[in-house]
Amino acid sequence: MHHVDVAAVSDTTGSAQSPAADAPDAAGASLDPREAVAERYGRIAYVLALHLTGRPEDARDIAQEAMLRLFRHASGLRDRENPRAWLLTTVRNLTRDLWRRQRVRSDGAIDPETIAGELLAGGSGPEETFERREVRARVWRAIALLPGGKREILVLRDFHDLSYAEIARVLGIPAGTVMSRLHAARTALRAALKEGMTRA
Amino acid sequence: MPDECGRTFDESLLSGYVDRALVQSEDQRVRIHLEDCATCRSLVEELQALRGVSMSTSFKAPEDLQWSERPRSTASRASFRVGWMLIAIWIVAIAGQVAWSAWQAPLPTAGEVLALAGVLGLVLLFVGVLLDRITASRTDRYKEVDK
Repeated sequence: MHHVDVAAVSDTTGSAQSPAADAPDAAGASLDPREAVAERYGRIAYVLALHLTGRPEDARDIAQEAMLRLFRHASGLRDRENPRAWLLTTVRNLTRDLWRRQRVRSDGAIDPETIAGELLAGGSGPEETFERREVRARVWRAIALLPGGKREILVLRDFHDLSYAEIARVLGIPAGTVMSRLHAARTALRAALKEGMTRA
Repeated sequence: MPDECGRTFDESLLSGYVDRALVQSEDQRVRIHLEDCATCRSLVEELQALRGVSMSTSFKAPEDLQWSERPRSTASRASFRVGWMLIAIWIVAIAGQVAWSAWQAPLPTAGEVLALAGVLGLVLLFVGVLLDRITASRTDRYKEVDK
């Protein structure tokens, strides 16, 4: 096995990691550090693709293609270029390509149960209570039901922890509009959760 | 958010405050307002809680979500190509030699014809599988990647 390009990504990772990337992973513990980096980036790509497409099989294909492109371009990334933002931009572009090929609507809600089914039990640790798991599942189901644009910006900021500048780059929007879009998405999520609680 | 809370700035600054993305003057403005406004304070706390839930989430990843590139240097590609060309030339030469010998030899018996047909059938099956593999390798996007 040869991992030169993955190592290049590893060298430019920096300290900002996705929470998903830092999640305890029994399999990752035994991996070669460079393989662990590849797996971490693969997860990052997969989670965004999953929330854009709503389909695990499409998300897997998109994540694989995005990772392949990252490997090929890693050594060519500029010094200050964030590989995570680059990868997520690629995921977004590949998703749009897929939508164009499949001629599907891109801004609708996705199946909340699919997303809830992809949540890893014990997100914040093995001692996590049932109640916390339920809250987490409820939040992610509500995110799944938001329009695509709102879902996307929430995942980029509140899951992947991208900065506003990185989000602007990934979404191709002016940096000045990120805060207002993000706030609109957060208030929509809050309203959806309140509505869900009222119904329940 | 009710207007009567007296906020004099855009509500989206509350998200910026949660994300620590405000410049110092904006941050100070929001902070002073939050000291007096229980409604906005409650909204900020809810936004922080929602962000906390999202940040502490982990998603499953497919088991085959691991990649590494194969070492395909220019030299290895070239040697593969030359090797395949030599094998192709060798197969054509052997086949020609066999055909020439068969042409020169007396007429084969029924048993020899049956044996030859069997061998020919196996060869054709092999060629069919080989052609399928070649086609698949040409259209495989991940042929240079081990999963």
